[in-house]
Amino acid sequence: MAPAVLVTVVLFGGALLGAVKQSVEPSLGGGPSTWNLDSWRTLLASPGFLDALRFSAQLALIASVLAASLAVAVAVALRSHGRLVRSAFSLPVPVPHLLVAVVAFMWLSPGGLAQRALGRLPLRLVHDPLGLGVILVYVYKETPFLVLLLLAVMGSTLREREEAAAVFGASPFRVLIWVVWPVIRRPLLIGTMIVAAFVFGAFEVPLVLGPNYPLTLASYALQAQQKSPLRGQGVAAASLLVAAGMSILIAAAVMRLARTADA
Amino acid sequence: MDADGAAIGALLCSGLTVARGRAPVLRGVELEIPSGTRTALVGPSGAGKTTLLRAIAGLQPVQSGTIELGGQRVDGLPAHRRGCAVVFQEPRLLPHLDAAENVAFSLRTAGVRRVERRSRAAALLGDVGLDGFGRRRVGELSGGEQQRIALARALCAEPQLLLLDEPFSAVDANRREELRALLVALQQERRLTTLFVTHDRGEAAQLGERVALMLEGRIIQHDEPSVLFERPSSPIVARFFGSSNILRGVIRAGAITLGQCTIPAPGPDGEACLTIRPERVILARDGPLELQVLETTYTGTHTRLRLGSGDLALVATVAPSLAPAAGAHVRVELPIEDLWRIPLAHEAGEVPAQEWDLT
Amino acid sequence: MREPRRIATAAAVVLFAAPLTVLVIQAFAEVWRYPALLPQQFGLRGFRVAFAEGDAAAAVSNSLEVALLSTGLAVLIAWPAARSLAATRGRWHGAVLLLLALPLLVPPFATGTGLTEWFIRLGLAGTRAGLVLAHLTVVLPYVLLVLTSAFSPRVVELEEMARSLGTPPLRRLVFVTVPSVRAVLTAAFLLGFLVSWSQYGTSLVVGAGLPMLPLTLLPFIGSDPTVAAALSLMFLVPAILALVLASRATRETL
Repeated sequence: MAPAVLVTVVLFGGALLGAVKQSVEPSLGGGPSTWNLDSWRTLLASPGFLDALRFSAQLALIASVLAASLAVAVAVALRSHGRLVRSAFSLPVPVPHLLVAVVAFMWLSPGGLAQRALGRLPLRLVHDPLGLGVILVYVYKETPFLVLLLLAVMGSTLREREEAAAVFGASPFRVLIWVVWPVIRRPLLIGTMIVAAFVFGAFEVPLVLGPNYPLTLASYALQAQQKSPLRGQGVAAASLLVAAGMSILIAAAVMRLARTADA
Repeated sequence: MDADGAAIGALLCSGLTVARGRAPVLRGVELEIPSGTRTALVGPSGAGKTTLLRAIAGLQPVQSGTIELGGQRVDGLPAHRRGCAVVFQEPRLLPHLDAAENVAFSLRTAGVRRVERRSRAAALLGDVGLDGFGRRRVGELSGGEQQRIALARALCAEPQLLLLDEPFSAVDANRREELRALLVALQQERRLTTLFVTHDRGEAAQLGERVALMLEGRIIQHDEPSVLFERPSSPIVARFFGSSNILRGVIRAGAITLGQCTIPAPGPDGEACLTIRPERVILARDGPLELQVLETTYTGTHTRLRLGSGDLALVATVAPSLAPAAGAHVRVELPIEDLWRIPLAHEAGEVPAQEWDLT
Repeated sequence: MREPRRIATAAAVVLFAAPLTVLVIQAFAEVWRYPALLPQQFGLRGFRVAFAEGDAAAAVSNSLEVALLSTGLAVLIAWPAARSLAATRGRWHGAVLLLLALPLLVPPFATGTGLTEWFIRLGLAGTRAGLVLAHLTVVLPYVLLVLTSAFSPRVVELEEMARSLGTPPLRRLVFVTVPSVRAVLTAAFLLGFLVSWSQYGTSLVVGAGLPMLPLTLLPFIGSDPTVAAALSLMFLVPAILALVLASRATRETL
């Protein structure tokens, strides 16, 4: 136990501390600097930041809800199938996000394979203002992940309980609501939360497929760093702290939801 | 160990206590198993049998007391240096190895060469009746076969002390008999000191040269099986071994009055607690006690009768062909040589005289 | 059992193979003018440029080294924690698990940015050692969560068996524990490796220009798709390898 806790506290705790320090005492300018809240003031006054916050939240919400709904449908459809079919559906899990984004770009960008094949693009999915391409990539990547989580709890114990319910006269729909749903609710909530937190911190996928404006929080931070290496450092750290805080907040809310759902 | 295979070590436990959290599990266990003998440790579930076995093996830390094996203190030693081998309730075979490598597990970890360990494993597989099973995968074997392999694996380690924790409870009843006989044969051949845990008194009687009864974390009586069955040291022991006939009264001039009747009784005059095994109760036309048959239960091999008259209650077992109908009045004889007078000192002993549901 | 096989193949093609064809075509496309569905000319220019301008060799070796080291460290560190998390359900169980899982929820770019603050002072910024530590922070919770499922009571039972048969601790590890958890250990290592291999944000800030595969790949996406596709194929190799290993493990347990 101890080494893992130590590493997490030192490295991860250090990272959070480092970000806090950067946001209140940007020191890369050289010379003794003093602690101030200028970066936070700049950040909160920036319309780009508020739009990035809204955009990140929107992506996280849409992608995680879509992935969760699809995952439930796929899992219910797949559970009667064997390992072979299930593993075929889990193929996208190990593919890196960036790679999926590259593939999506090559298919869907103007002049890409889709346009060559169809003659025209019915929908703009690359650099579109709604971030549809980004959402597509995350749904493609995260649905199989959630399906795996769900299938793990939809094992033989659940099947036995369903049989018991059916013997006592419950209709298939009732069985789904009364027997299946209570079992998958918790893993589904926690998995969806992880997906949401993940999308909230999205970085490389929006860099490839996302619009130039609004940015996600992480790319906003990158832009701030690149725009002015001196002042931008603190603003970037502050916006990343907001992203981190939001992710943890989502997690806490969902954990609470999962607990009350159990009671 | 040398060629004649005399891997023997007497076991001596004294004052052994184990607690789980605050709840005591073993409360000062005294147990001695002479070198090369078999003892069956029997008791109801929750009595602490498995805990005792694990404590001896070194898998369970003890709070106090000592364990000696072959004259050496081992309670301070880690499990792998105690020279015990355990056959667990589940086979605990390694699924990535074939049958022979599982048998030769202790040789494998000791770095014995493959050719040698496989030949040793083949011999042991033969000993447990699995000739030619060496290359089988664990998953292909039945529960009984897996447990035979676990037994061969334990023998392969040439332990000073062989510990078995209800090893045949998951095996079906017909195979169990075979496995018991096999175990006894292998133990006698090797003169292995053996402790066998079971909750089944019949199995204990068959397997143990001696039987130790454990109740609530203590060894209550440790003796030859016939002694525990016929001369129990307390009513609780009597009940555990299937003798629910406890008759209390006062003996005067070599006789005791039960209900309206007086029958001859053993021992000196005074307050007495007598017991008689149900199969020794005789239905006889001229028996001195008259009782009514309250209930008859056919058990497959015999019929059990619940008899009563006033305060007097008796259980008798008879051949099904001789069983009277429920409601009938029968006369009963309790032969004096089959009446055992339970020593009174133990009656108020440390163990609370709680009703054990042991059937 | 024809039907499931057919469904599986169809799913694999639609979800995995078909989208990826574009990478293969693009990577070997020398000339691919607009409305044509297939390139006019095939060649190896993409790979040549990737190695010449894109630092592909250094990027692959850096990415590989950092992924192997950070995952190896993560497995070593997570092992005892996973054991005790699986064994006990004490008062602190939930809190410790949450603490250890926390880095999973925070954007890795944030973690990397925060670490840079200290790494610059310690001379770790822009070094492979710094990258290993940054990746370790992100990889550890993944490895830990997977590894926790390895230590079921069954493993403890097998270890007890070995103890009772006289096997000393180190040999128990080699002959019993590791073989018993091999499948989960492999899964944890693969997952950790892939998480590190895919890291973008952390490598960007902590690496300070050190070539890493995803960093090298991104700028080419808009400018030279052929080079991007060539680099993507290299980027894909571990994922394919992971799939092969996972399917072999599945077949073994069948």
